[in-house]
Amino acid sequence: MHQLLNNGVQGVHIPDGFLDPLWSIITYAVAIAYLGISYTRSRSLWSIETTSLVTVLAAGIFAAQMLNWPIPGGTSLHFVGGALAGIILGPFLGALTISLVLIVQCLVFHDGGLTALGANILNMGIVAVLSGYLLYRLSIKLVGRNEHGRFIGGFLGGWISITLAGILCGLEIGLSPQFPYGVLVSIPVMGLWHLVLGVVEGLITGLVVVYISKKEPGFILAERGVV
Amino acid sequence: MKTIIVIIALVIISPLFGVVLADMVGYHEPLDVAAEELGLNDTSEEVNWTPFFDYSIPGLDPVIGYILSGFIGIGVIIAIGFILRKVVERR
Repeated sequence: MHQLLNNGVQGVHIPDGFLDPLWSIITYAVAIAYLGISYTRSRSLWSIETTSLVTVLAAGIFAAQMLNWPIPGGTSLHFVGGALAGIILGPFLGALTISLVLIVQCLVFHDGGLTALGANILNMGIVAVLSGYLLYRLSIKLVGRNEHGRFIGGFLGGWISITLAGILCGLEIGLSPQFPYGVLVSIPVMGLWHLVLGVVEGLITGLVVVYISKKEPGFILAERGVV
Repeated sequence: MKTIIVIIALVIISPLFGVVLADMVGYHEPLDVAAEELGLNDTSEEVNWTPFFDYSIPGLDPVIGYILSGFIGIGVIIAIGFILRKVVERR
């Protein structure tokens, strides 16, 4: 069993059949509530420019998630993009953007289950986006609004956001009676694997944020203090 | 435009990672492997609602299907973005 769990889980799209109906309902409720708040809070931000930015970022993250690096032994590694969306678009537009990607993946390609869509949005579209945004804000506050601050913010945002998404995924699966080993097994395994593999997410996020800040600094809404 | 070219390039090379390398290392979605070994019941294939299951297109080679799936997904996202843009313009 531990061999299996040691194989790790980097692809955090939970399929159907894993979550207890109760957890399915709870995660849907939280996701719908947050997305509702996001819609209300981001209404003043919607413009032709932000609509284009949301569309291009969603398309880019969708394409990047298709580059799935299989690692022998059963682990996969792909960019998730939650922190990047949070840094570029803020915690509300960013959440709506990742949710759009997850909904298309689920409904069109059956990537992630319908009963687990709320959980997948909660993990990758809310927790990863929000934590990535907050860590980036913290970094540019402590290190400065310069290349170092941006890279460190992007790196830590990407890395920690993926780890948190993995831990939450472990919690949701571990608390479901379908999973026979409980949270004491699922959380450390999911958390540790994402802690290790999330370094790549951090590096990509940091580099992309620095690149965008040089080309189009105005695109990084997290620096405008938009919440 | 530059971003769109990068996105198209990503989709075109994506089967290298999502199909070819996956086959070489005998890869399965890790959560699916976990489900099987733990005796969990992944009901994905029993209850399917899309012909593009797992980024494939019925009757097409997996590599071609994966690339076309990428463009279908991006097309759907751009179509939704277009509708949003029209809504924003009307406001």
